[in-house]
Amino acid sequence: MPLFAKPGRLLLPLTLMLLTTALHAGDPVRIAAASDLRYALDDIVNLYREVHPDTAIEVIYGSSGKMTTQIINGAPYDIFFSADIAFPQQLKEKGLTTTEPAVYAIGRIVIWSNTLNAAKLTLEDLTSDAITRVAIAQPAHAPYGLRAKEAMQAAGVWDAVQSKLVFGENIAHAAQMAESGAAQVGIIALSLARFPELARHDHYLIDNALHNPLTQGYVVTRRGGNMPEALAFAGFMATDKVHDIMIRYGFVMPE
Amino acid sequence: MYTFGPAEWQAIDVTLRLCLYTTIILLLLATPLAWWLAKGRSRGRDVVQAIVSLPLVLPPTVLGFYLLVAMGPRGILGKTLEDLGFHHLAFSFEGILIASILYSMPFAVQPLTEAFSHLGRRPVEVASSLGAGAIDRFGTVIFPLTRSGFVVAATLTFAHTMGEFGVILMLGGSIPGETRVLSVLIYDHAEAMNYEAAHSLSLMLLIFAFVTLLVVYSFTRRFQVVRL
Amino acid sequence: MMLRIRAHLRYGGDFELKVDHEWPLEGVTGLFGRSGCGKTTLLRLIAGLERIRGAAVSFGDQQWQQGSKFVPLHRRRIGLVFQEHSLLPHLSVEDNLLYGYRRTPALLRRLHPPEVSAMLGIEDLFGRRIDQLSGGQRQRVSLGRALLISPQLLLLDEPMAALDTQTRREIMPFLGHMAAESGVPIIMVSHSPDEIERLADRIVFLQDGLIQRIETLHESLARPDSPLFDDAGAVSVLEGFLGEAGEDGVRPFGPSEARLWVPEAEQASGSRPTRILIRARDVSLSLVDPHHISIQNHLPVTIERIDPPTDSRCVVACRTADGQLVLAEVTSRAVSQLGLEAGKSLYMLIKSVALLE
Repeated sequence: MPLFAKPGRLLLPLTLMLLTTALHAGDPVRIAAASDLRYALDDIVNLYREVHPDTAIEVIYGSSGKMTTQIINGAPYDIFFSADIAFPQQLKEKGLTTTEPAVYAIGRIVIWSNTLNAAKLTLEDLTSDAITRVAIAQPAHAPYGLRAKEAMQAAGVWDAVQSKLVFGENIAHAAQMAESGAAQVGIIALSLARFPELARHDHYLIDNALHNPLTQGYVVTRRGGNMPEALAFAGFMATDKVHDIMIRYGFVMPE
Repeated sequence: MYTFGPAEWQAIDVTLRLCLYTTIILLLLATPLAWWLAKGRSRGRDVVQAIVSLPLVLPPTVLGFYLLVAMGPRGILGKTLEDLGFHHLAFSFEGILIASILYSMPFAVQPLTEAFSHLGRRPVEVASSLGAGAIDRFGTVIFPLTRSGFVVAATLTFAHTMGEFGVILMLGGSIPGETRVLSVLIYDHAEAMNYEAAHSLSLMLLIFAFVTLLVVYSFTRRFQVVRL
Repeated sequence: MMLRIRAHLRYGGDFELKVDHEWPLEGVTGLFGRSGCGKTTLLRLIAGLERIRGAAVSFGDQQWQQGSKFVPLHRRRIGLVFQEHSLLPHLSVEDNLLYGYRRTPALLRRLHPPEVSAMLGIEDLFGRRIDQLSGGQRQRVSLGRALLISPQLLLLDEPMAALDTQTRREIMPFLGHMAAESGVPIIMVSHSPDEIERLADRIVFLQDGLIQRIETLHESLARPDSPLFDDAGAVSVLEGFLGEAGEDGVRPFGPSEARLWVPEAEQASGSRPTRILIRARDVSLSLVDPHHISIQNHLPVTIERIDPPTDSRCVVACRTADGQLVLAEVTSRAVSQLGLEAGKSLYMLIKSVALLE
C-alpha cells in the first residue's frame, strides 16, 4: 500500500492545508438565496455572466431561516436573498451586514398539484377527504411555509388540514414533494409554479389578503462588503432586465 | 446518460479530497489508538472505546450541532482560531474534514483494534528479542501481519466518509468547491427536481458502495485464512 | 556473569511474586516449579517483557532495570524461545533465521549462520516456508534464530512443553550441547524434572512466587528431599563420554573403572560429554559380583549414605569408582538382610535397557 509507505511525504501538505484556512483569496461571489428564487435567480445569474464573464458566482439555495442561522455561525456568503426581509434585518442588528436590507420583490403563494386540477382547488377544498397529504415548507424557518399557514388560518381550515401536512425543508423541497406525487397538493411559491417543469399543471393563486405580504429583502453581508464584485451584482438587481425576469416568474416588483 | 457538468465535477473533487484526507489522517490517528485499545491494560479503555464508537449510534445531527457550536465564530474552537488570526472552521472544507474524522473514527479504529488483538503479543515480543525497535517492529512485523485490517479500515473509512450527509449538511452547508459533497449535491438536485442528475450521481455512489463492501468482505475472508 | 533480581509483585488477590536473589549464570540454569508458581513471570521480568514497578534487574555490570531506568528488550540482546512455535508466519525460514542476525551489529556477531545451522541440523531448511516444517524443526529454527543475535543470555520458556515425546527426544540433544558450544548462558523454564536433570547445571526452585533454593544439579541430586524426586522418585545423573557401538549395537559409557553399557541411542559419539539418567528403582545392590545374569552393568561402589526409610523403602547413595553418586532404591528389609551401612563396598546392578530413554 504505497500510500502508507512514506507518511512523512503526506504530513507536510496536510499541515499546510490545515494552516491555510485563513486564505480564501480568489473566492467567487457566494449568494445565499431563498428557495423560491431557485429558477428566477439562475436566469439572472446567467444573464449577469454574459455581461461579466470574469465574475465567478455561486448560488446556494435553502430556507431563509436556515441561511440566516448559517450566516450567524460564520457561513461564507456575500449576498443574502431572503424570502422575508425580517431575516436580513436580524443580521443587520447583529452587525453582520454591509448594506441596508432592501426589498427586491413581493412573493405570492399558490396551490399546485400534479394529480388534481389545482386551478379549481381552493383552500377550503384541502379539507376534503380525497386529499390526504398537503406539502408546505417548514413554517418555523421558511417564510413561504409561514405564509401558507397564515392563509390557512385566515381561511379557517388550519385545524382540519393540520394532520395532513408534510413539511419540506424549504419551499423548493415542498414543491418537489408535490411534484413527485408524494403529496397530492402543495402550497408553493408562484415563482416555482412558473418553472416550466411545474407550469405543465395549473395552479390556484391564493388571495394575498389572507396572509402577511412576502416582502422579500436582500442584503450584502459584512463579508461581501469587501468584495467589489458582490456590490456590483447587488446593483445589477435594480436593473430593468432583472425586473423583467422577476415579473416573468410571478413576482410583484416594489414601488 | 446524463453528462456531468462543472457542479458535479467540483463535488466529485471535494468528495474525493475529503475521503482521501480523512482516510490518511484517520489511519495515522487510529493506529496508535487501536494499538492501545487492543493491548493496553488501563481501565480507561472502555470509556475510550465507548467514545470512539459514539458516531455509530448517535444521530449525525448531534455531532453536527456540537461541531457547529464549537467551530463557528462564537464557539470555543472557532473563536480561538479567529483570535489567532485564522478563519473559523464552520462552513469550510477543514471543518467538514474534522467532522468526517470524528464521524468515521469507529470505522478505522474497530478493524484495526480487531486486527491487533488477533495478532497477539507473541510476534511483537519475538521481534523485540531479535533487536527490532518500535518502528522497525511496526514496519516488519505488525503491519505485514495486520495488512488486511488496514485495508478494511481504509476502505470502510473512505466509503463511510463518502456516505456522510447529515453532519456535512449541518456543519458545511452546501458551498460549491468547499463543502458541497456528492451526497449533498444529490439532495440539492432532487430538491431542484433535477432528477436526471440526481439519478446518475446516486447510481455512481450505489455502485461504489457495493464494490467497496465486496472488497471488504473478500478481504475479511482472506484475512481469516491467513491467520490460520 | 551474575544475574541479580529484586521484585515484588502482587497479582489479583492470590498471586504474589517476591524475589531478591542473585546467582551466577553459566551453562544452563533450570527455573523449576509447578504451573502457576511464577516461573514465566520471572522469565518475562528478566527479558523486560514485564515491567514490574520497583523491580531491579542487573546482568553482570549492566543494569537492565533500576528505578526509572528500563532497558527495553530489543537493547538487552536476549534470545527468546517460547513454548509454542513463534516463527513469524509472513517470513521464510531463512528470513526468520536472519531477522535478528541482520539487526545485530557486525562487531557483536559471534555466532554465524553456517555454524548455528550445523549445530541445530537445519542447513536443509533454509528455502522452506514455515508451514512446511514439523514441530521439532520449527523449534530448532526458533533456537537458531535466537542464537543468531549472538545473545548475552538465552531464555527458554518451556521449549519442549508443546512437543510430543518423539520430537522432544529429537530436540533434547541439540539443547544439551547448545549451551556448551555457543558459550551463551541459558535460563530454561520447565516443570519437568526429566528435562531439568538432562539439561540443567544449576536449578532455581520456585514455589508460590518465592525462590526456595538455588543450587547446582549435583547438590540437588545429592539431597534426599530434592523436589526433583517428588513425582518420579530418586534419579542419578552420570556424565561421561559415549564410545563407538560394537557389532551388537551396545555402546560403552564412562571410564573403564566405572563402565556402563548403553543400548544404541540416536546420539552421536565423540567429544561431547553426555548425560545418562538412572532411576533409583532400576538399580539393584549385590554383595557379590554375580555371573550368569542378564544384567549387563555391574559397578563396584561404596555406600556413602542410607536415607531413613519412607513406606519401608530406602534410598541408598553409593559412590562409583570414578567418584560419581548413584542412588539405589531398595526395601528396608533388603537393607537389614544384606547388613547395608555407610562405608560398605558392594556391587550395583543396572539393566542396560533401563538406560534407554
